[in-house]
Amino acid sequence: MVVAEQQRAETPFEPLLQFEMEMGAFLSDWHHCDHLSTFMARMISHNRTDPVRHSNFFSSALNELLEVSFRGGSSDGSIGCAIYRHEATERVKLTFPCPPGQRQFYQEAVSKTRRGNAYARYLDAISTDFAPSREAVLLDLAINFDAEIHLEENDPPTITLVVDLPLEGIVS
Amino acid sequence: MSTAVLPAPFKAEFDPNSQEFSLSGVVRPRSADEIAASISLLRDAINSVRGVFYINVKRLVQMNNTAFHAVARIILDECRTRSDLRFVVVTSSVVGWTERMFGHLNKIEPQVSVEVYDSTFYPGQSFVEDTSFIPILRAQTKMTWRHERTILPRHGMRPGIALADICCGIGDFAVLAQKEFQPARIVALDHSKPSLAYARKVAAEFGVTGIEYTYGDASEMLLEDNQFDFVTCRHSLQIFNQPELLLKELYRIVKPGGRVYITNEKNSHCLGEPRAQSIQWTYNELARLLSHFEMDVELGPKSRHYLADAGFDDILVESFMVTNLDGDPQDFADVIAGWEKMFAAMAARHGEAPEFIDRFRQGFRDHIFAALHPKGYAGWPIWAASGRKPL
Ligand SMILES: C[S@@+](CC[C@H](N)C(=O)[O-])C[C@H]1O[C@@H](n2cnc3c(N)ncnc32)[C@H](O)[C@@H]1O
Repeated sequence: MVVAEQQRAETPFEPLLQFEMEMGAFLSDWHHCDHLSTFMARMISHNRTDPVRHSNFFSSALNELLEVSFRGGSSDGSIGCAIYRHEATERVKLTFPCPPGQRQFYQEAVSKTRRGNAYARYLDAISTDFAPSREAVLLDLAINFDAEIHLEENDPPTITLVVDLPLEGIVS
Repeated sequence: MSTAVLPAPFKAEFDPNSQEFSLSGVVRPRSADEIAASISLLRDAINSVRGVFYINVKRLVQMNNTAFHAVARIILDECRTRSDLRFVVVTSSVVGWTERMFGHLNKIEPQVSVEVYDSTFYPGQSFVEDTSFIPILRAQTKMTWRHERTILPRHGMRPGIALADICCGIGDFAVLAQKEFQPARIVALDHSKPSLAYARKVAAEFGVTGIEYTYGDASEMLLEDNQFDFVTCRHSLQIFNQPELLLKELYRIVKPGGRVYITNEKNSHCLGEPRAQSIQWTYNELARLLSHFEMDVELGPKSRHYLADAGFDDILVESFMVTNLDGDPQDFADVIAGWEKMFAAMAARHGEAPEFIDRFRQGFRDHIFAALHPKGYAGWPIWAASGRKPL
């Protein structure tokens, strides 16, 4: 585990694109999630093997992450999203304000994506929830997009989700 | 933000005749309430059918978890109360995540299965998507380009445009167009993975960058509406069994005022001297044979009709003859040699007798003979046509 963490930190990811937005402005319109994910996906996919399909896949994953921060969001502070690339993987770092009470929730949700029973949990969420929980969304990313998800420890009140998406390999 | 990122409209429809419920476009609701009308349409539709219920997500471009859970919930609940019913989710191999996401439903309820519609979807597909087709396409484009480079500007090709080459095959047309006309953007789409792999390899070897090769079905494209100034589709309406569906999509993606350019053949008009009769017989038979694979290789002169029916105006049609005198006659001979091999295999697949196949092959050999004969003449006629999408 420790070794994996270290490797993750040391992998030379190159920055591609980032944005930052006041949380209040972000929360003013639900469609920001769709627009931002579509736009960013297109920008970063142009030099992938199959740009059109890479962009479609990437937009799906990024949109879910933005929706997670939208749903959990309060209008103080700002949301930041940076995208990096290393070989066949894109890394999304999403930083957003998180009330103290929810930190633990994210820690648990993230660690559940890496447990052996992740798939069973995911199936259970599909068959029982009418609306997906944020935990189910993270499981979806791990299962349908082969995402590896981590939480970066930073000072309250923000948290950073780090999501590695090896989409190039899935798409082509 | 620019109009380019406006979401494609979301649609939910039910066709009682085919018992098919289809979801298309982008569906990213904040809550399931936003799509309540579609959800109740789905529930009512399920309650109105017996046997097999189809859920078509071929054209579903985006669906968030909120929408997926809402739809999945209805399907799974109905499975529990309607054990008589089977659910078939029809996905496409192009939008990979739909196959994955809907595939999970089968793990929960075996009554639900997923079918990928485009694994086999038109009759000639296995021949056209085979690697043995690659050298034929190479040789053909080498021959046709000599003509098309002067024809294309008349139909709207010019520098700085957004160009899409749909059914691009091995992509050499896109490379030639990029060199000659410097469009600002090129998207090249095909449904043959071997052809696309070849296209990408060639582009990499020649240091060609900027062509966006993409895997897709030309009759169900992920590309958005009104994106391109010029859309080309060469030698392909004639090999797909539903050319009007392809044209509808070409129409959709071209900008108003932009043009769609198509090339097609009339195979029975291939000709040569000497040995004209044998050549003629074979190409007549070829057109007949390919009609069994639902390919209309006589489509060329029907281009005007097809373009008009698809809603284009300002239609231009011209024809040109690729001949053995255009350049090296051996290039012409190489094209015909490729045809002989491929079409003989198709004749065998169709169950033609060996004597027929011998005579059929002979016509191609005679065409090659005419092409390489010091006083011979061999021709392959092609129709180039384009239409404008009204403003
Ligand atoms: C005769 S080839 C022509 C290729 C290329 N335009 C050229 O001139 O060299 C026809 C091409 O259409 C492609 N094709 C046929 N139906 C298709 C569809 N529905 N979607 C995408 N590509 C298709 C085939 O894979 C094949 O590469």
